[in-house]
Amino acid sequence: MTSEDTEFAKKIAAHLDRGAADLKAGTVYRLQLARQEALARLADPKRAAEPRLAGAHGLAGSGTVGGDHRFWASGRLWIGIALIAVAALGFQQWQAYQQLKDLEETDAAILTSDLPIDAYLDRGFQNWLKHAIDE
Amino acid sequence: MARSHRTDPVLASYQEISAFLAEVERRAFKQAMFAVRDEHSAHDVVQDAMLKLTEKYSEKPAAELPMLFQRILQNTIHDHFRRQKVRSTWTTLLSALGKGDEKDEDFDPLETLPAKSDSNANADPAQLLEQGQIMAVIEQALTRLPARQREAFLLRYWEELDVAETAAAMNCSQGSVKTHCSRAVHALATMLKAKGVTL
Repeated sequence: MTSEDTEFAKKIAAHLDRGAADLKAGTVYRLQLARQEALARLADPKRAAEPRLAGAHGLAGSGTVGGDHRFWASGRLWIGIALIAVAALGFQQWQAYQQLKDLEETDAAILTSDLPIDAYLDRGFQNWLKHAIDE
Repeated sequence: MARSHRTDPVLASYQEISAFLAEVERRAFKQAMFAVRDEHSAHDVVQDAMLKLTEKYSEKPAAELPMLFQRILQNTIHDHFRRQKVRSTWTTLLSALGKGDEKDEDFDPLETLPAKSDSNANADPAQLLEQGQIMAVIEQALTRLPARQREAFLLRYWEELDVAETAAAMNCSQGSVKTHCSRAVHALATMLKAKGVTL
Protein backbone atom coordinates (compact mmCIF):
# COMPACT_ATOMS: atom_id res chain seq x y z
CA MET A 1 0.00 0.00 0.00
CA THR A 2 1.43 3.33 -1.03
CA SER A 3 0.88 6.51 0.95
CA GLU A 4 -1.53 7.61 -1.80
CA ASP A 5 -3.60 4.46 -1.23
CA THR A 6 -3.63 5.11 2.49
CA GLU A 7 -4.67 8.71 1.90
CA PHE A 8 -7.47 7.57 -0.41
CA ALA A 9 -8.66 5.02 2.17
CA LYS A 10 -8.72 7.70 4.85
CA LYS A 11 -10.80 9.98 2.64
CA ILE A 12 -13.32 7.19 2.14
CA ALA A 13 -13.36 6.61 5.90
CA ALA A 14 -14.08 10.33 6.42
CA HIS A 15 -17.07 10.06 4.06
CA LEU A 16 -18.25 6.95 5.88
CA ASP A 17 -18.03 8.86 9.16
CA ARG A 18 -20.35 11.51 7.71
CA GLY A 19 -22.74 8.81 6.53
CA ALA A 20 -22.79 7.22 9.99
CA ALA A 21 -23.43 10.62 11.59
CA ASP A 22 -26.46 11.18 9.33
CA LEU A 23 -28.36 8.00 10.17
CA LYS A 24 -32.14 8.28 10.31
CA ALA A 25 -33.66 9.11 13.69
CA GLY A 26 -35.51 5.78 13.80
CA THR A 27 -32.30 3.88 13.20
CA VAL A 28 -30.45 5.82 15.89
CA TYR A 29 -33.31 5.23 18.32
CA ARG A 30 -33.29 1.49 17.70
CA LEU A 31 -29.53 1.33 18.14
CA GLN A 32 -29.91 3.19 21.40
CA LEU A 33 -32.53 0.68 22.59
CA ALA A 34 -30.31 -2.22 21.56
CA ARG A 35 -27.42 -0.70 23.52
CA GLN A 36 -29.62 -0.17 26.57
CA GLU A 37 -30.78 -3.77 26.42
CA ALA A 38 -27.19 -5.01 26.20
CA LEU A 39 -26.13 -2.78 29.09
CA ALA A 40 -29.13 -3.89 31.17
CA ARG A 41 -27.87 -7.45 30.87
CA LEU A 42 -24.45 -6.28 31.92
CA ALA A 43 -25.87 -4.55 35.00
CA ASP A 44 -28.09 -7.51 35.86
CA PRO A 45 -26.41 -10.79 34.84
CA LYS A 46 -29.63 -12.68 35.68
CA ARG A 47 -31.16 -11.17 32.59
CA ALA A 48 -28.52 -12.88 30.49
CA ALA A 49 -30.17 -16.20 31.28
CA GLU A 50 -33.50 -14.94 30.04
CA PRO A 51 -34.44 -15.69 26.47
CA ARG A 52 -33.92 -12.83 24.06
CA LEU A 53 -37.45 -11.81 23.51
CA ALA A 54 -36.93 -8.89 21.23
CA GLY A 55 -34.57 -7.90 18.50
CA ALA A 56 -33.59 -4.31 17.87
CA HIS A 57 -36.66 -3.48 15.86
CA GLY A 58 -38.79 -5.57 18.18
CA LEU A 59 -37.82 -3.23 20.96
CA ALA A 60 -38.80 -0.32 18.83
CA GLY A 61 -42.33 -1.60 18.93
CA SER A 62 -42.81 -2.84 15.41
CA GLY A 63 -44.21 -6.06 16.81
CA THR A 64 -41.53 -8.30 15.41
CA VAL A 65 -38.66 -9.93 17.17
CA GLY A 66 -35.00 -10.68 16.41
CA GLY A 67 -33.78 -11.84 12.98
CA ASP A 68 -34.21 -15.58 13.49
CA HIS A 69 -37.25 -15.14 15.66
CA ARG A 70 -38.86 -12.83 13.11
CA PHE A 71 -39.02 -15.66 10.61
CA TRP A 72 -40.77 -18.05 13.00
CA ALA A 73 -42.84 -15.44 14.78
CA SER A 74 -44.45 -14.27 11.58
CA GLY A 75 -48.19 -14.82 12.05
CA ARG A 76 -48.79 -15.21 8.34
CA LEU A 77 -46.20 -17.92 8.13
CA TRP A 78 -47.83 -19.96 10.87
CA ILE A 79 -51.26 -19.45 9.34
CA GLY A 80 -49.80 -20.67 6.04
CA ILE A 81 -48.30 -23.75 7.71
CA ALA A 82 -51.64 -24.45 9.43
CA LEU A 83 -53.52 -24.11 6.13
CA ILE A 84 -51.13 -26.51 4.40
CA ALA A 85 -51.53 -29.01 7.27
CA VAL A 86 -55.34 -28.74 7.14
CA ALA A 87 -55.31 -29.12 3.35
CA ALA A 88 -53.06 -32.20 3.56
CA LEU A 89 -55.32 -33.77 6.23
CA GLY A 90 -58.42 -32.96 4.18
CA PHE A 91 -56.92 -34.53 1.06
CA GLN A 92 -56.01 -37.67 3.00
CA GLN A 93 -59.56 -37.95 4.42
CA TRP A 94 -61.11 -37.40 0.99
CA GLN A 95 -58.87 -40.09 -0.53
CA ALA A 96 -59.85 -42.59 2.21
CA TYR A 97 -63.53 -41.76 1.66
CA GLN A 98 -63.19 -42.28 -2.10
CA GLN A 99 -61.52 -45.68 -1.58
CA LEU A 100 -64.32 -46.74 0.76
CA LYS A 101 -66.94 -45.55 -1.71
CA ASP A 102 -65.31 -47.49 -4.56
CA LEU A 103 -65.26 -50.64 -2.43
CA GLU A 104 -68.92 -50.14 -1.50
CA GLU A 105 -69.87 -49.74 -5.15
CA THR A 106 -67.95 -52.88 -6.12
CA ASP A 107 -69.59 -54.84 -3.30
CA ALA A 108 -73.02 -53.53 -4.25
CA ALA A 109 -72.44 -54.43 -7.93
CA ILE A 110 -71.33 -57.95 -7.01
CA LEU A 111 -74.21 -58.52 -4.61
CA THR A 112 -76.91 -57.17 -6.93
CA SER A 113 -75.54 -58.94 -10.01
CA ASP A 114 -77.55 -61.81 -11.57
CA LEU A 115 -74.41 -63.90 -11.47
CA PRO A 116 -74.12 -65.94 -8.27
CA ILE A 117 -71.22 -64.86 -6.07
CA ASP A 118 -69.78 -68.41 -6.14
CA ALA A 119 -69.10 -67.98 -9.85
CA TYR A 120 -66.34 -65.49 -9.05
CA LEU A 121 -64.63 -68.12 -6.91
CA ASP A 122 -64.96 -70.88 -9.52
CA ARG A 123 -61.70 -71.34 -11.47
CA GLY A 124 -63.51 -73.01 -14.39
CA PHE A 125 -65.81 -70.01 -14.77
CA GLN A 126 -62.83 -67.63 -14.71
CA ASN A 127 -61.09 -69.66 -17.46
CA TRP A 128 -64.28 -69.67 -19.51
CA LEU A 129 -64.63 -65.91 -19.04
CA LYS A 130 -61.00 -65.35 -20.10
CA HIS A 131 -61.43 -67.42 -23.27
CA ALA A 132 -64.73 -65.71 -24.07
CA ILE A 133 -63.03 -62.29 -23.83
CA ASP A 134 -60.04 -63.43 -25.94
CA GLU A 135 -62.37 -64.68 -28.67
CA MET B 1 -4.54 2.54 17.45
CA ALA B 2 -8.25 1.88 17.35
CA ARG B 3 -10.65 4.70 17.96
CA SER B 4 -11.61 3.68 21.51
CA HIS B 5 -9.90 4.34 24.81
CA ARG B 6 -7.15 1.81 25.13
CA THR B 7 -4.79 3.05 27.78
CA ASP B 8 -6.54 1.34 30.69
CA PRO B 9 -5.23 -2.21 31.14
CA VAL B 10 -7.79 -3.09 33.86
CA LEU B 11 -11.18 -4.64 33.29
CA ALA B 12 -13.68 -2.50 31.47
CA SER B 13 -16.13 -0.71 33.74
CA TYR B 14 -19.85 -0.31 33.03
CA GLN B 15 -19.24 3.28 31.93
CA GLU B 16 -16.42 2.26 29.62
CA ILE B 17 -18.49 -0.42 27.95
CA SER B 18 -21.43 1.96 27.69
CA ALA B 19 -19.26 4.67 26.15
CA PHE B 20 -17.63 2.17 23.82
CA LEU B 21 -20.96 0.84 22.55
CA ALA B 22 -22.34 4.35 22.10
CA GLU B 23 -19.28 5.28 20.08
CA VAL B 24 -19.24 2.21 17.90
CA GLU B 25 -22.96 1.47 17.35
CA ARG B 26 -23.51 3.65 14.27
CA ARG B 27 -20.45 2.37 12.47
CA ALA B 28 -21.36 -1.18 13.46
CA PHE B 29 -24.82 -0.69 11.98
CA LYS B 30 -23.38 0.66 8.74
CA GLN B 31 -20.92 -2.23 8.56
CA ALA B 32 -23.76 -4.68 9.03
CA MET B 33 -25.78 -2.84 6.39
CA PHE B 34 -22.95 -3.09 3.86
CA ALA B 35 -22.85 -6.83 4.47
CA VAL B 36 -26.49 -7.90 4.89
CA ARG B 37 -28.12 -5.06 2.89
CA ASP B 38 -31.27 -5.14 4.99
CA GLU B 39 -32.02 -2.66 7.75
CA HIS B 40 -33.91 -5.02 10.06
CA SER B 41 -31.26 -7.71 9.75
CA ALA B 42 -28.51 -5.14 10.32
CA HIS B 43 -30.25 -4.01 13.53
CA ASP B 44 -30.51 -7.61 14.69
CA VAL B 45 -26.86 -8.26 13.90
CA VAL B 46 -25.72 -5.20 15.87
CA GLN B 47 -27.96 -6.01 18.81
CA ASP B 48 -26.78 -9.61 18.89
CA ALA B 49 -23.18 -8.45 18.79
CA MET B 50 -23.78 -5.98 21.63
CA LEU B 51 -25.51 -8.63 23.74
CA LYS B 52 -22.72 -11.13 23.15
CA LEU B 53 -20.14 -8.55 24.17
CA THR B 54 -21.89 -7.62 27.41
CA GLU B 55 -22.91 -11.18 28.29
CA LYS B 56 -19.69 -13.00 27.52
CA TYR B 57 -16.83 -10.57 27.24
CA SER B 58 -17.60 -7.84 29.76
CA GLU B 59 -14.78 -9.04 31.99
CA LYS B 60 -12.13 -8.12 29.48
CA PRO B 61 -9.81 -5.12 29.60
CA ALA B 62 -11.22 -1.99 27.99
CA ALA B 63 -8.35 -1.97 25.52
CA GLU B 64 -9.52 -5.27 24.06
CA LEU B 65 -13.11 -4.16 23.48
CA PRO B 66 -12.71 -2.74 19.93
CA MET B 67 -11.03 -5.86 18.56
CA LEU B 68 -13.37 -8.18 20.48
CA PHE B 69 -16.47 -6.35 19.37
CA GLN B 70 -15.37 -6.34 15.74
CA ARG B 71 -14.66 -10.05 15.90
CA ILE B 72 -18.09 -10.68 17.41
CA LEU B 73 -19.72 -8.44 14.81
CA GLN B 74 -18.04 -10.21 11.88
CA ASN B 75 -18.95 -13.63 13.33
CA THR B 76 -22.54 -12.51 13.85
CA ILE B 77 -22.71 -11.36 10.22
CA HIS B 78 -21.33 -14.73 9.09
CA ASP B 79 -23.86 -16.52 11.31
CA HIS B 80 -26.60 -14.44 9.73
CA PHE B 81 -25.63 -15.64 6.27
CA ARG B 82 -25.30 -19.23 7.47
CA ARG B 83 -28.80 -19.18 8.97
CA GLN B 84 -30.18 -17.40 5.94
CA LYS B 85 -28.89 -20.22 3.74
CA VAL B 86 -30.68 -22.81 5.89
CA ARG B 87 -33.87 -20.77 5.98
CA SER B 88 -33.92 -20.00 2.27
CA THR B 89 -35.41 -23.40 1.43
CA TRP B 90 -38.39 -22.77 3.69
CA THR B 91 -38.85 -19.16 2.75
CA THR B 92 -38.83 -20.05 -0.96
CA LEU B 93 -41.49 -22.66 -0.32
CA LEU B 94 -43.67 -20.44 1.80
CA SER B 95 -42.86 -17.02 0.38
CA ALA B 96 -46.12 -16.89 -1.54
CA LEU B 97 -48.03 -17.18 1.74
CA GLY B 98 -45.93 -14.54 3.42
CA LYS B 99 -46.60 -11.90 0.79
CA GLY B 100 -48.79 -9.00 1.71
CA ASP B 101 -48.69 -5.53 3.13
CA GLU B 102 -45.84 -6.26 5.48
CA LYS B 103 -44.10 -3.06 4.48
CA ASP B 104 -47.05 -1.01 5.59
CA GLU B 105 -47.13 -2.74 8.97
CA ASP B 106 -43.45 -2.09 9.55
CA PHE B 107 -43.70 1.53 8.49
CA ASP B 108 -42.28 3.77 11.12
CA PRO B 109 -42.73 7.52 10.67
CA LEU B 110 -39.52 8.06 12.62
CA GLU B 111 -37.67 6.41 9.77
CA THR B 112 -38.47 9.26 7.45
CA LEU B 113 -36.93 11.89 9.69
CA PRO B 114 -33.22 12.53 9.42
CA ALA B 115 -31.36 12.46 12.72
CA LYS B 116 -30.14 15.72 14.09
CA SER B 117 -26.52 16.12 13.32
CA ASP B 118 -24.41 19.05 14.29
CA SER B 119 -21.96 18.32 11.52
CA ASN B 120 -24.18 19.60 8.72
CA ALA B 121 -26.72 21.79 10.49
CA ASN B 122 -25.54 24.93 8.71
CA ALA B 123 -24.17 23.37 5.56
CA ASP B 124 -24.99 24.51 2.04
CA PRO B 125 -27.84 22.36 0.58
CA ALA B 126 -25.98 21.95 -2.73
CA GLN B 127 -22.91 20.76 -0.86
CA LEU B 128 -25.05 18.39 1.19
CA LEU B 129 -26.59 16.98 -1.98
CA GLU B 130 -23.19 16.43 -3.52
CA GLN B 131 -21.92 14.78 -0.34
CA GLY B 132 -24.99 12.57 -0.28
CA GLN B 133 -24.39 11.50 -3.86
CA ILE B 134 -20.73 10.74 -3.22
CA MET B 135 -21.75 8.85 -0.10
CA ALA B 136 -24.23 6.78 -2.06
CA VAL B 137 -21.58 5.90 -4.66
CA ILE B 138 -19.08 4.95 -1.96
CA GLU B 139 -21.62 2.81 -0.10
CA GLN B 140 -22.68 1.11 -3.31
CA ALA B 141 -19.03 0.41 -4.17
CA LEU B 142 -18.46 -1.03 -0.69
CA THR B 143 -21.41 -3.39 -0.98
CA ARG B 144 -20.00 -4.62 -4.28
CA LEU B 145 -16.62 -5.51 -2.79
CA PRO B 146 -15.96 -9.16 -1.91
CA ALA B 147 -16.92 -9.70 1.75
CA ARG B 148 -13.40 -10.30 3.06
CA GLN B 149 -11.99 -7.27 1.26
CA ARG B 150 -14.80 -5.10 2.65
CA GLU B 151 -14.25 -6.44 6.17
CA ALA B 152 -10.52 -5.82 6.03
CA PHE B 153 -10.94 -2.33 4.59
CA LEU B 154 -13.55 -1.24 7.13
CA LEU B 155 -11.73 -2.67 10.12
CA ARG B 156 -8.37 -1.28 9.08
CA TYR B 157 -9.33 2.18 7.86
CA TRP B 158 -12.72 2.94 9.37
CA GLU B 159 -12.38 1.24 12.72
CA GLU B 160 -8.68 2.10 12.69
CA LEU B 161 -7.56 -1.27 14.02
CA ASP B 162 -3.93 -2.08 13.31
CA VAL B 163 -2.98 -4.98 11.02
CA ALA B 164 -2.58 -7.44 13.90
CA GLU B 165 -5.95 -6.52 15.43
CA THR B 166 -7.66 -6.70 12.06
CA ALA B 167 -6.13 -10.13 11.48
CA ALA B 168 -7.35 -11.27 14.90
CA ALA B 169 -10.83 -9.89 14.28
CA MET B 170 -10.99 -11.56 10.86
CA ASN B 171 -9.33 -14.76 12.06
CA CYS B 172 -6.74 -14.69 9.29
CA SER B 173 -3.06 -13.87 8.82
CA GLN B 174 -1.65 -10.35 8.76
CA GLY B 175 -0.48 -10.97 5.22
CA SER B 176 -4.04 -11.71 4.16
CA VAL B 177 -5.22 -8.48 5.79
CA LYS B 178 -2.66 -6.47 3.80
CA THR B 179 -3.64 -8.21 0.57
CA HIS B 180 -7.37 -7.73 1.18
CA CYS B 181 -6.85 -4.05 2.06
CA SER B 182 -4.72 -3.37 -0.98
CA ARG B 183 -7.19 -5.05 -3.32
CA ALA B 184 -10.13 -3.28 -1.66
CA VAL B 185 -8.53 0.14 -2.06
CA HIS B 186 -7.74 -0.46 -5.73
CA ALA B 187 -11.19 -1.88 -6.43
CA LEU B 188 -12.84 1.10 -4.70
CA ALA B 189 -10.65 3.57 -6.61
CA THR B 190 -11.60 1.91 -9.89
CA MET B 191 -15.32 1.85 -9.08
CA LEU B 192 -15.36 5.49 -7.94
CA LYS B 193 -13.39 6.57 -11.00
CA ALA B 194 -15.88 4.77 -13.24
CA LYS B 195 -18.67 6.77 -11.60
CA GLY B 196 -16.74 10.01 -12.05
CA VAL B 197 -16.14 10.51 -8.34
CA THR B 198 -12.84 11.98 -7.21
CA LEU B 199 -12.06 12.35 -3.53
